[in-house]
Amino acid sequence: MSSVPTFLSQQARQVAQSLLTAIEGTRAVVVATADGFDLVQVGYSGVEASRLAAMVSSFAALGDAASRESGLGTPRCLVIDSTDGRLMVRCMQVRDHAIIVVVVTDKTALLGLVWNHLAAAEKAMNAE
Amino acid sequence: MATLNHLKIVFTGTPGAGKTTAIGALSDTPPVVTDVRNTDASLGKENTTVGLDFGQVDLGDGQFVRLFGTPGQLRFEFMWQIIATDALGLVILIDNSRPNPLDDLAIYLDAYKDLLPTMSCAVGIGRTIECPLPTVDDFCDMLAARGLLFPVLAVDVRKREDVLTLVDTVLVQAEMRL
Repeated sequence: MSSVPTFLSQQARQVAQSLLTAIEGTRAVVVATADGFDLVQVGYSGVEASRLAAMVSSFAALGDAASRESGLGTPRCLVIDSTDGRLMVRCMQVRDHAIIVVVVTDKTALLGLVWNHLAAAEKAMNAE
Repeated sequence: MATLNHLKIVFTGTPGAGKTTAIGALSDTPPVVTDVRNTDASLGKENTTVGLDFGQVDLGDGQFVRLFGTPGQLRFEFMWQIIATDALGLVILIDNSRPNPLDDLAIYLDAYKDLLPTMSCAVGIGRTIECPLPTVDDFCDMLAARGLLFPVLAVDVRKREDVLTLVDTVLVQAEMRL
């Protein structure tokens, strides 16, 4: 079981809820620790947060390895563009804690908008 | 499909058993690691693998072995299957200092049960000096009870020669299957 500070779980819930509300076409938001534990899930209940958290932590780590291998530094965002929607994965550093925010959208959600909201969410979490 | 000059061997097993260390000890190139900070206090370690490990070793005569490591925790079981695709063999590493090492082995035997009949396999037991029980014979008996016959070796995965012995054991089995 993951042990993360209470403040982080609370911030994660607020961020997840605000992303769900703010971005049209969002089906669910999951916030996970970098080692694959789900902290928060909001939105569509058909998403199994514990499994998705483990999966996104794996490919966030793979993205990080590939990015370093390519001399590109630390990845900020990964996108899985699928036939029926997208997974947008943002790797965030909130103070000393690495977390991953996953936004599950349908095809109507605007990629740039999701990107902007995720970047703003990271700023807001670090400003609190 | 693996060919015998381009081989893929997968290291799996319990968290903390030394999969990343083993690949790092054997790889000729700096290994690819996907470790992140661990937040699970029960594991008692600072970092943990969440994606995969990768390294490669030149056996000479144009033979290369690609070494892949899986995450250990059960929540990453989906990666166990992905990484094992087209592998020639499997090395299962068990940490004998954990509470139930035999049960730990059973988890990985169950997870790979569909692949094991056609895959070479070796079991490496770590920390046997500090924790001598269960014995290597106990692990062999457990495998036999499941109708499996794989080499079981006490290993220190920090030692390159121990890891090489595990890989060699897998390769010998693979050659015998040809």
